[in-house]
Amino acid sequence: MTNRRSGIILLCLIVTGVLYSGALYAFTDEEGCLLCHKYPKMGRVTEDGARRTYYVMPHVFGKTVHRNVPCRDCHSYIKELPHREVKTGVSCNAECHSIKNPATGKNFSHKPIYDAYRKSVHGRDKIAEGLDNDKPYCITCHTNPLYNPAEESVPRRVADRCVVCHEDREFVEAWYNHTSRRIRDVKRSSIEIVALCSSCHGDKKLIERHMKAAAEKGEELGRKFPVAAESYNASFHGKVTRYGFNKAANCLDCHADYDNYYLSVHEIRPSRDPLSPMYEDKRHNTCQRCHKYANENYATLDPHPTKDLISNPFIYYAEEIYNWVAYIVIAGLIGLAVIETIGRRRDGVCWRLKRGSSWWRRSRKREDRDRVE
Amino acid sequence: MKLSDEAQKILETSMRINKTSDVERKEIEDVIHLMPDDRVLLYKNVVSNPIGDLPRYSVHIRVQHMLTFVTFLALAFTGLPVAFYNHVWAEPLNTLVGGVDVSRVIHRTLAVAMIMTMIYHFFTITLGPLVQMFKGRFEIRRTIIPLMKDLRDFKDDLLYFAGRRDQRPTMDKFMYKQKLHYFAAAFGNIVMVVSGSSFLFPDIWASILPVSIASHFQELMRLSHPHEALLALLVIAFWHWYNVHLAPGRFPMQWTFLTGKITREHQIEEHFLEYLRNLVEIPEERSYLYDLLTARELREEGHVHEDPESMGPDGEEPAS
Repeated sequence: MTNRRSGIILLCLIVTGVLYSGALYAFTDEEGCLLCHKYPKMGRVTEDGARRTYYVMPHVFGKTVHRNVPCRDCHSYIKELPHREVKTGVSCNAECHSIKNPATGKNFSHKPIYDAYRKSVHGRDKIAEGLDNDKPYCITCHTNPLYNPAEESVPRRVADRCVVCHEDREFVEAWYNHTSRRIRDVKRSSIEIVALCSSCHGDKKLIERHMKAAAEKGEELGRKFPVAAESYNASFHGKVTRYGFNKAANCLDCHADYDNYYLSVHEIRPSRDPLSPMYEDKRHNTCQRCHKYANENYATLDPHPTKDLISNPFIYYAEEIYNWVAYIVIAGLIGLAVIETIGRRRDGVCWRLKRGSSWWRRSRKREDRDRVE
Repeated sequence: MKLSDEAQKILETSMRINKTSDVERKEIEDVIHLMPDDRVLLYKNVVSNPIGDLPRYSVHIRVQHMLTFVTFLALAFTGLPVAFYNHVWAEPLNTLVGGVDVSRVIHRTLAVAMIMTMIYHFFTITLGPLVQMFKGRFEIRRTIIPLMKDLRDFKDDLLYFAGRRDQRPTMDKFMYKQKLHYFAAAFGNIVMVVSGSSFLFPDIWASILPVSIASHFQELMRLSHPHEALLALLVIAFWHWYNVHLAPGRFPMQWTFLTGKITREHQIEEHFLEYLRNLVEIPEERSYLYDLLTARELREEGHVHEDPESMGPDGEEPAS
């Protein structure tokens, strides 16, 4: 009797929890995943000692771009609760069964952009081994971004207009952020783009690994591959970008094709690939996006300048000469000033603030040269 | 004082140009005769007004100096944090000048102002001498054009500073330091304008230049712009400001850049040949000096050396 009663109470609690979870967390948790994943301490220590958390912060996830997607659309390998150990993880080219593409009526999927990415120099599988593991997967750049926190609620003025056709106010509220985010330019700022690219291209160990492997295989890597990030930072583009100036070229402005920016940033190729906007024959066209009169001559200017002896002996020696000229000039002029000060003080010159003259000091050796009072 | 041949020649030229009357010529010769051979005694005893006694710079030159130094410093402070981005002071200085969005506008606007100043100066230094030539008053020695004499002056001045010579050389309106500084600044300005334009119009420069040197030119300009700026700033900070503020005798500052006038003692010490012209051109200066020299006995026997070249180190009498 007691057991049955307590069972009923527990069932009521679970049902209440499941029902409330939707209302509380601004997204529907019809699969009941938050039953467990709402607990902050949920996690484990892996075999290699890393601490993994499986906590889904409901108040945060409810503001992300994936909040309307049921968990199992992506985590499709989960067939029962409690689920088995996860081995493969989420692949971004999966098909959503719950969301339809309104344009085609088909199930929504990231597959088209994923396929474009797979053909780029960065393309890799979700689970990659060796050097491929250094390449970025979708979530390296796309970290399930949040909607604009300033737009938590739909502006009444806008929603009223939407419901005229879309009728269902709940639908409008659910999809408003999705639409408004795309109407605005949601590109990363130049500083963020440079930081993102530099997180790999500025990683010395990663670069060394790839250089070594390429040398062993006899493969060719880009001429600027080892210095991509640091040479960009030293370029004029890099110098003004780091101070928050957004009009100077960042990595993607040159290395992505501008026909469709959002698609082409997934299709980055090495500059020796004829499809790259940095390919020799096309380079000046790319420069013309900003530098109106750029021609083939202009395309020879180095946007990743280096000044070491091996890669750029001309500038290396020019800088050496400049430095020595500067040292000699400064040392020479300061030397002259010191000699002059000593030489003139000997004849009774000193520092005086007033009286318009500074010849009042007694000469050290020649009394006959002093002022006659 | 017995003038050197060179000084005598300059005096004669000046008197000829100014069509000096015989009476005045006599006055000038008298006052020069009264001068002690030791110029140190002379410039130690004259009275000087700190803000200047004798004319030196026209209002045009003063305005150009003002424009140059204001634009130069503001250009340096807006440009250096961008060029030397990885130094600790770069970010705070960049914020101080308003960030790149603001400072790039300031930098380019002032660059145009600096170029306009250069053009203004170019007209001043070409039209001024042309007018003088037309009036028959042009003297190349009175200009900033470097002459062999400047090398001699430099050598003699070093000997004086080292105590190997009794007096500083008699120098003209512009001495070797000023000529060196002027041409360094002129060269530096041209470098800055050319290299700056290669940042602003890289595509146009590349289309003008042959393909074999377009890239090298741009890289050299990228190197030159910050190097020249830093060198100029260091030269200004360590040398120019030393010369006009800190050097003994000039402390705390020379007012010439504002008043256009130079103090009498400075003129006699460093620009004696110009002082001789002042004696010809300004009767008041002549009478002031005459009064001074007749009121005081500056020609003490036994201490005056007719021939400075025969002196030993530190101005002592050579052992006979």
